[in-house]
Amino acid sequence: MNEQNSDILSKVEKYYQNYGLRAKELKSQGQKIIAYLCSLVPVEIISAAGFVPFRISGDVNEPITKGDTQLETIACPFVRSCFDVSLKGRYDFCEGLVLPHACDSITRTYSVWRYSLDLPYSHFINLPHTVRGPSMDFFRGELETFRKSLGRFAHKEIADSDLIEAIDLYNKNRDKAKALYDMRKSDPPLISGTEMSKILTVGMSLPVTESNELFAEVLEELTQRKEPPVRKAPRIMVDGACIDNIDFVKLIEDSGANVVVDSLCIGTRDYLPHTDVGGDPLDALARRYLDKINCPRTYREKAEGAYEKDLSARFGDIGSLGKEFKVDGIILYVYKYCDPFGFEVPARKAYLDSLNMPVLYLEDEYSAGTIGRLRTRIQAFLEMIE
Amino acid sequence: MAEEGKRQERKKRRTATEAASSIGAMVKAAIGGTVKAKEEGKKLAYSFIVCSYDEIIRAMDVVPVWTENYAGVCGAKRDAERFLERAESQNFSRSLCTYALCGLGFDQWREELGEMPPDSPWGGQARPDFMLSSGQILCDPRNKWYQAAQQYMPDVPIYDVGLPYPLYEDDIEVADVQDYYIKYIVAELRGLVKFLEEQTGKKMDYDRLSELVDLSERTWNLIWETYELRRAVPTPMGTGDAMNTMVPMVFMMGTQEAYDFYLDLNRELKDKIARKEGVVKDEKYRLLWGGGLPSWFALTDFNYFNSKGAVFPVETTYRMIEPIYRLDIPETNDPIERLAWRWIRYWTYWYDKARKRPGSEPDVERLIQYIEDYQIDGIVMHEAFSCRTFHLGLIWQLNQLRKIYKPIPVLILGQDGKKKEEKRELPSLILESDIIDISSYSEVDTRNRIDAFIETLEQAKTAAALYK
Repeated sequence: MNEQNSDILSKVEKYYQNYGLRAKELKSQGQKIIAYLCSLVPVEIISAAGFVPFRISGDVNEPITKGDTQLETIACPFVRSCFDVSLKGRYDFCEGLVLPHACDSITRTYSVWRYSLDLPYSHFINLPHTVRGPSMDFFRGELETFRKSLGRFAHKEIADSDLIEAIDLYNKNRDKAKALYDMRKSDPPLISGTEMSKILTVGMSLPVTESNELFAEVLEELTQRKEPPVRKAPRIMVDGACIDNIDFVKLIEDSGANVVVDSLCIGTRDYLPHTDVGGDPLDALARRYLDKINCPRTYREKAEGAYEKDLSARFGDIGSLGKEFKVDGIILYVYKYCDPFGFEVPARKAYLDSLNMPVLYLEDEYSAGTIGRLRTRIQAFLEMIE
Repeated sequence: MAEEGKRQERKKRRTATEAASSIGAMVKAAIGGTVKAKEEGKKLAYSFIVCSYDEIIRAMDVVPVWTENYAGVCGAKRDAERFLERAESQNFSRSLCTYALCGLGFDQWREELGEMPPDSPWGGQARPDFMLSSGQILCDPRNKWYQAAQQYMPDVPIYDVGLPYPLYEDDIEVADVQDYYIKYIVAELRGLVKFLEEQTGKKMDYDRLSELVDLSERTWNLIWETYELRRAVPTPMGTGDAMNTMVPMVFMMGTQEAYDFYLDLNRELKDKIARKEGVVKDEKYRLLWGGGLPSWFALTDFNYFNSKGAVFPVETTYRMIEPIYRLDIPETNDPIERLAWRWIRYWTYWYDKARKRPGSEPDVERLIQYIEDYQIDGIVMHEAFSCRTFHLGLIWQLNQLRKIYKPIPVLILGQDGKKKEEKRELPSLILESDIIDISSYSEVDTRNRIDAFIETLEQAKTAAALYK
């Protein structure tokens, strides 16, 4: 891949290679950093409290060692890696930790994280599993509890106006992310999947204002590109949970394809849905995080009629993205021990098959070593598409 | 698919109590009863245990089909592999909950054939009229399994009941959040009643529901009192038996049959205690089963422990009750509200106690209480690879317990050559296998680990005796 260098892309590279570098600098300047895991933590509330939200990242190149002394190996390998590098002190600049009720691997390990890292602040946000009216009311109650708890730690009352301001900043961030995605619609795309993965991952390690500036500068840079960084090639979408590294996407692109869109947590699942404005900010946040983020951990009532209609209701966003970005094939990439995604694989495949979309399903562990072993299967899939 | 011939030899476990030995027939009758109920036109619901809806189902005359139970039966009969393989062939990863995989494999096969798969254990699992999922704070499969099963039964509707409880936090008391938790659970359970009324065409009889809730609460108290009898030395009943006697607790709550079962068990244990009749003749080591579901295909491992003089007077697994009178449930005439309060109070029962001990946590505090109440010498846990729900956090619980609780006084030789007292933690063992998937299990390795653990227990006992 012909990756173009520039000041802003060098900055992205620096922050990607030294994940957490900027948060560490901010900590030394007196700011407080609150770590979180997963797309289901309302970062707007953390920002509104005056803290810097910092998304914990794992490391596919770091063998899990210390973490295994505290946490069973039957946990999702991504969560295990995040825990391992945290326990080894990589994110020691953080003052607090917020985990959501996402999946068993996160929920059932909350105490393990809390006691092992021994941070001054920790909080668990309990998301319900359905999106019915009572669930929204309950979740709003949970967000209010979080607002009060974090406010106590911040020694400030988090006002609605603080939340509205933070919501606005994050919505702008999502606008910019959408604009970046739009750069991938051309054939060949104006930005490679590998570059995009770096930018989106780095974005979640920065204060939202800096993330907005970074995205704006990247956009400015891309509009000046004279040549696309990649050649025309099969257009691939990656569907799955959380990929916070370039290794998998790079493997696909090195195998002769362009990754042009995704349905991933550090991707369209989190970066595209906006928070509604104009009403109660906690109601709006409840709607965004419980309903608009389409994560399989949230149960959606079966649509009336044939089963195919239900599949469309559950996975229609994937099909829409596929059409919008004119993809030639989808790679469904699921981590071992991931119950929310694992139980959906046959249904997801059935839906994608119904679109006559070539699909490759890969189960993997969160490790550079195992990712490398997928090369042959990816190459065979791309040959089949071509 | 070479599904035949995969069933493996199964040895029957020796039970200590008559009550435990009666359970097999009871479960067989219950499973057969669901097939018969289907033929009689009764409404059947796929259901999960410990979902606080037992009494609601019973009051509506809906017949529960306990899918975890059927998977457990397949596992115990060493006949789960063919269903697991079926699920795997459908692209379900073998790393997922094997109860669910077994159930999904069975459903797919039954729906494909239009009848029960050949030689289905105990007549097979009947097709449901509807499925009752559960969105809890624990167990993703309870939220995903039935949704996945809809691929094979798209005409069977689901109601997903939200049943959260607050996690333990340093800065938040249960009282701070309980109002909106209760409000939500009540709304969800009322939603379930409405769903069942639509599905059955019947109206809920709330007087009957109240009677069943009363009956359950009496049963909770009776179970607690009965299980507490196991404090006796020698203990009259071990965890191996408790893995049978949990059946009425989790599959038959809200029935007179369940209450009567524990009444009989209570009498039996009192008789044994009067006769000083223990699980083993010479009780050497008293162990706590401190976490994890058992390997249903290897319950004879409990007999192996017994053969070494080790007994399990208590376990955290499937002890899904606390004495109702200690739960501080507010007065209410509404049985739905009562169920909601019972749910929250049960799951947060150990929170106040944990706050009083620095570094403790509810699950750890419960271990400490049982260690002291039951005079425990060591802890055994089981890590089932396919279940994150009950098996994440076990290592940490033991690590934390070691940090804050060292009950064994020993004398050691100091650098100055003088003896000095030191406190040591209890020996512990984590076994590794699965609930259903026998391919994860090695009897030889398991028993070697048990042997080594028994040696550790013996050394700890010797050191403690020297101190005395």
